[in-house]
Amino acid sequence: MQPFALNYARPAVEREAATPYVYDSGLQLNVLLDGRIAASDHALLRELGTTTSTAGSKTHFDD
Amino acid sequence: MTVLILTGEEDVTADMVVVHLNASAVPVVRLDPADLTAGVALSGEYVHGSFEGHLSAGGRLVSVSGLRSVWVRRPGLPAARAAQPSAWLTEEASQALYGMLRGCGARWMNHPDAARRARHKPWQLRLAQRCGLPVPATLITTFPQAAREFAERFPDLVVKPVSGAHPQEPPRAVPTSRVAPDTDFAAVAYGPTLLQRRIAKRADVRLTAVGETLLAARKATPADADPDEVDVRFASSEAPWLPAEVPPRVARAVRGYLRDAELTYGAFDFAEDVDGTWWFLECNQSGQFGFVEVETGLPIARTIAGWLARPDPEEPGQVDDRRTVAP
Repeated sequence: MQPFALNYARPAVEREAATPYVYDSGLQLNVLLDGRIAASDHALLRELGTTTSTAGSKTHFDD
Repeated sequence: MTVLILTGEEDVTADMVVVHLNASAVPVVRLDPADLTAGVALSGEYVHGSFEGHLSAGGRLVSVSGLRSVWVRRPGLPAARAAQPSAWLTEEASQALYGMLRGCGARWMNHPDAARRARHKPWQLRLAQRCGLPVPATLITTFPQAAREFAERFPDLVVKPVSGAHPQEPPRAVPTSRVAPDTDFAAVAYGPTLLQRRIAKRADVRLTAVGETLLAARKATPADADPDEVDVRFASSEAPWLPAEVPPRVARAVRGYLRDAELTYGAFDFAEDVDGTWWFLECNQSGQFGFVEVETGLPIARTIAGWLARPDPEEPGQVDDRRTVAP
């Protein structure tokens, strides 16, 4: 039998879009294709939602 | 002295802090424990009554005794990406890494033992009560009859996971959800169920605590909001997060909570009711902060960087930065 709380479950939304930055182990930062530091582009972060509090994380309890 | 950051490469929120540390010329070593033995290496020697340990990642080598702070941000499972991963290897890698780090004198954000305890939401509720934070009436039970009686006393309820975790296979999310008055509570017998009185809120509040510094943001609930949209993470509202003042009474209680929980970082969620009362919902000991900073301009990353970089409080010349930020 299904626990009560799971009556309210919904499919988790996985982010499918690839992020437009890659990790640079030398800088220890993610950089955009043009070499800029991704974290400095707040408009981009807002658009991508990668810094957002979410639910349904596979690996983390805390959001 | 170096700041050690334990997190995944894709963690662009951690990047926001690294940028500030770099600007201050504070040495940083960033690694993901998941990469242990495949890109990350460690060694520790206990000889003649002393310990000397080293970590290596990305071509950087740092002495464990040279760490000024450890930020446990979003670390992967130790050795998860090893050539031949296994539960045994993960335990071995976890014991080796965190065991060595536990023995160093660095300051933690947050210490793993404190973090582990702080994830227990029932414990959070009790601590919040003790610290003087208003907590909505809550029941955690496997007794269907207890749930029915609770629903009679508090007819407007929400349900949410006790752990904050979400089921996988298939991946599902369990948002905080409103419980209809005529709900059948029989299934409460099949799993601990957390029921809580719904707060008719006029805003959600996310208060990010970094050491003694409190940075709050508030997202107003539209007057015509659907009362069934309880969970702000799933709400359709376009209202922005805006900086907010922290009421002095809440600030005192939050600092007491952090002290008792032995946390140096916490992301507190509150529901603000029509009277302006902030009702404690939870404290995520590693809660996201990037979205708050991006929307509000609150200097959270800079504050975290400052906390990680500052000298040991026992060292001379340390200034107490006890303050509540309200831009």
